[in-house]
Amino acid sequence: MSEAAFNSFNKPSAVSSNLFTVALRLLWRDWNGGELRLLFIALVMAVTSVTGIALFTDRLEKALLLESANMLAADRIVSGRGELPEEILEEGQARGLRTAQTLSFTSMAFSESGNMLVAAKAVSDAYPLRGEVIITKAAFTRGRPILSGPPPGEVWLEARALPALEIEVGDTVFVGEAELLVSEIIITEPDRTGGSMMDNAGPRLMLNMADVPSTNVVQLGSRVSYRYLFASDELSELDDFEQWFRAQEEWRGRFYIRDVRDESQEVADALDRAESFLLLGSLFAVILAGVAIALTAKRYSERHYDYVAILKTLGCTSSQITFIYLTVQLVLALFAVLAGWVLGWLVHQGILQLLQSILLVTLPEPGLQPYVIGALTAVICLLAFALPPLLALRETPPLRVLRKDMSQQKISDKVPYAFGILGTIFLVYWYSQDLVLTSVLVSSVAGIALFLSIISYLFLRSGGSAGMKAGNAWKLAMTAARRRRSQNVLQVMVFSVTIMSLLILTLLRTDLIDEWQAQLPEDTPNHFMMNITRNQIGEIENFFADNGIQDNAFYPLISARVTRVNGDEPNPEGNLGDDEQNSLTENANLDGVELSEAAQAAAGETDTGATGEDQAGRRVRGGLSRRQVTWADEVPPDNGITAGEWWGENPQPGYVSIEQDYAEWLDLELGDRLEFEINQQTVYAEVSNFRSVRWDNMQPNFFIIFSPGTIDHLGGTYLSTALMEQEQKMLLNDLIRLVPTMVVIEIDALIEQIQTIIAQVTSAIELISVLVLVCGALVLLSCVNASLDERFHENAILRTLGAGQKLIMTSLLIEFATIGFIAGLIATIGAEASLYYLQQEVFEQDFSFHYWVWPLGPLLGTLIIAGLGILSTRGVVRISPLNVLRRLT
Amino acid sequence: MIETRNLVKSVDTSEGLLTILKGITLKVNEGEIVAIVGASGSGKSTLLGLMAGLDGASSGDVLLDDNNLTEMDEEQRAMLRGQLVGFVFQSFQLLPSLTALENVMLPIELKGDDQARDKAKQLLQRVGLEERWHHYPNQLSGGEQQRVAIARAFATQAKILFADEPTGNLDTATGKKVVELLFELNREFSTTLVLVTHDERLAQRCNRVIKLVAGEIAEDTKNTVEESVSV
Repeated sequence: MSEAAFNSFNKPSAVSSNLFTVALRLLWRDWNGGELRLLFIALVMAVTSVTGIALFTDRLEKALLLESANMLAADRIVSGRGELPEEILEEGQARGLRTAQTLSFTSMAFSESGNMLVAAKAVSDAYPLRGEVIITKAAFTRGRPILSGPPPGEVWLEARALPALEIEVGDTVFVGEAELLVSEIIITEPDRTGGSMMDNAGPRLMLNMADVPSTNVVQLGSRVSYRYLFASDELSELDDFEQWFRAQEEWRGRFYIRDVRDESQEVADALDRAESFLLLGSLFAVILAGVAIALTAKRYSERHYDYVAILKTLGCTSSQITFIYLTVQLVLALFAVLAGWVLGWLVHQGILQLLQSILLVTLPEPGLQPYVIGALTAVICLLAFALPPLLALRETPPLRVLRKDMSQQKISDKVPYAFGILGTIFLVYWYSQDLVLTSVLVSSVAGIALFLSIISYLFLRSGGSAGMKAGNAWKLAMTAARRRRSQNVLQVMVFSVTIMSLLILTLLRTDLIDEWQAQLPEDTPNHFMMNITRNQIGEIENFFADNGIQDNAFYPLISARVTRVNGDEPNPEGNLGDDEQNSLTENANLDGVELSEAAQAAAGETDTGATGEDQAGRRVRGGLSRRQVTWADEVPPDNGITAGEWWGENPQPGYVSIEQDYAEWLDLELGDRLEFEINQQTVYAEVSNFRSVRWDNMQPNFFIIFSPGTIDHLGGTYLSTALMEQEQKMLLNDLIRLVPTMVVIEIDALIEQIQTIIAQVTSAIELISVLVLVCGALVLLSCVNASLDERFHENAILRTLGAGQKLIMTSLLIEFATIGFIAGLIATIGAEASLYYLQQEVFEQDFSFHYWVWPLGPLLGTLIIAGLGILSTRGVVRISPLNVLRRLT
Repeated sequence: MIETRNLVKSVDTSEGLLTILKGITLKVNEGEIVAIVGASGSGKSTLLGLMAGLDGASSGDVLLDDNNLTEMDEEQRAMLRGQLVGFVFQSFQLLPSLTALENVMLPIELKGDDQARDKAKQLLQRVGLEERWHHYPNQLSGGEQQRVAIARAFATQAKILFADEPTGNLDTATGKKVVELLFELNREFSTTLVLVTHDERLAQRCNRVIKLVAGEIAEDTKNTVEESVSV
């Protein structure tokens, strides 16, 4: 009977309601029979990992941004040269953002008996929008937090200014024409580390914005740094505001908007890399879960051929078959999504619980998006991985009722894989929105597939002999492996992709954490000292030696400007691509001295490694403006020569070493002759080498280093660093008394903050790795299970014919171990190759060969696959052959 | 040759313990051809499986060529099967991934015989499938598959052959040809043959017919040799 005739014969609505009942009954039966469990678990795992990771990253990112925002005292900052248009502030207020203003300038502070250059900062009443100001009544004691600046008529002064001015708390100082009461000692302010050069020119003096006019120091043409601060709990409001700001063409190049990512490169790096890692982790989890779904669905449908054949014999049409199985899958998916949501929520709660002690802020509530992503993942996984084999069921010939060996003719075996591959590519791109990441993942998997085809071809060619060679376990295993070659190639592929994912994540995790820890080791100096004269060095060294403080090298520091390259004026816009150029122009105009780090402030020059396109632009921010340069006998630590040679043991004057990005920006070549303007004198030097610099090590770093004797005679001051513990901080007072002209910059709070963030991110990464591990195990299990029926049948017959338990188990062990070894080896090759790209392109790390993985990968593959295989197939020799044969026929 | 003593087989079902065989005691002598008949569910195939050592009994003993199967573990039973027993199943039970030749070679190889290929080829020739040796089971008809299964059953020159509904999946004409072949080879190799069948005519060709009803022996009748040969 044709389908139309069938439908006209039966009432359609009654039919579909009956079919729905049939589908539910089938679902219930298969659930009880255990057939659907693995498929269900795989689906749940996909939803769980995606929902859990999305929930976690969603909240963590919000939280980290919030905490990091404390470093800015705001979520967004607008700054620029000259007075900022009021309109910006008004627009922010109109959009419901909280706002504040700051004004930084250098000024002399006078007392009755002394005076001192101070870094003054006037703040409005709402300051700070994020974080706290820490103040105290007694110098160098632990302070108390306060959520405001000083009230009008009062100033807060940094401790080291008090001895220099010979005053106490309660005395008054003059700032310009205004006499203001010193009511508190200021220990730190949230945006202390993110200020401009003017904020680091001396000890801090904070005053109320309302007092600025009475000081009369800020006049037209004064060098002042204006900032508008904005904050909101709604990220979207901030983003909208930022978009509005960036759309104002007339402000381009004059005013800038920034968030914490622009402000602290360490935090930005940690966040970016953690995000990439979590993303990669969830990608792997989904791909692995997808593979598990594909495998279990395939096995499920293979086991249903008979059922479908019977249904068809009874008059069920192909479309009705599709309806039944689609219903089964959709109902299953519905429950899987619900279970996955709950588990995902629990997973993210678990992660948060673990991180509770280090997460210092209350996490914002997650949005609905993670749940939507989780549910969509389930649907896409089903469509790509489960549907094709299930749809193949509709092609089951009813004749199968009579001939069991009648199998699916129409749909090729490869169709499901094609769907799976397309689905995977779609998922990877959908999550990452990153072409590089997608292409790296896809090409490494494609590489593995190609490699495997070659291997299996060779494997196949090597053995032309027939039979099972059943007399010997080794031969039996090898012939079995060869006989099931297409299945085994698939298994090896799945195993290698799984092991590769786990290896990549483990190696990346280890490398990332190692690098972070190396970046800021325990003994990272947390104080920068500058403005030191040559004859003060001895005094300072003695002081440190007497007090058991670890000090470091003293770098000479002098301000210089590149004026000519080989006699020509250099291009002020440098030599970069359009994108880089834009960001450079933006940054280059930041007053030339707007700096992002305390370290930078101290070195006058440094910047830290950025990620993404604008990296080079950011690094050389400042372009041709004045730079703090130095001279040195030896290559500074963490610097590497990338071209040319460092001056030898007897350095000659007249040479200069240039940081590689800066050299590229200036389009320099080795041997170029540079002209510098230093202290109104002209200095010539030949470029003798290019250097790489680790910008994120919180140490003094330099773009330009001269050979000794080139600029020594031009004067300059010295810079050094020291590690001072909390209990040694009182000594700072004595040190400043000893060397009153010295400027000390305390970056211990910053370092601590960065270390905290890195610790948080590290824990998150560890947990994600565990989640991926679970998905990996699931895939391995479903993959072994996929071939279980055939193995059971084969071995039951072997046993019927007299093969012993030992022979069968040994041959199974050898077969699985061989598959595991090959998979492990391929996974190792694939992991190293993918890591090469990932570390270079995504994580911006240096790639290093992981020698220890080469023996470990194959060994791990052998052990895991052999273990899992034997565990799953041990029943082969336990169940009586009669039962197996009956069950399978 | 084969002896069962008070053989009981019970299985756990959702409705409680179901006893399939209720104390079967019988003896099959060397060279005898025995048919086990009975209605569906009477326990025929279960009895065959127990006698062949494919499954363990709940109680009672099975002696196969004086070896007590109930005292052996699965490993020892497998070895005994390899030495003594051949099988022919209703659903052929050929390995789909092996060719006809490879299927026949299998038990010979398991015995460690390195002449497997030659011997298997001879047997395939004997069952009339010498031209089809490289075909896979799904390329063969039901009758041809059963002929391969018979060749495999005789491959190790087993002393005892168990056949479970050997013609059950075949049409009458093909079934008849397969039975002829089975009996011919049985005579040639002087094998003891125990077969389970629904086919009354096939049963009548055997020396002896044991009829099972609800797990018990209801009848045990002997046919004369002349009868069995003439049919």
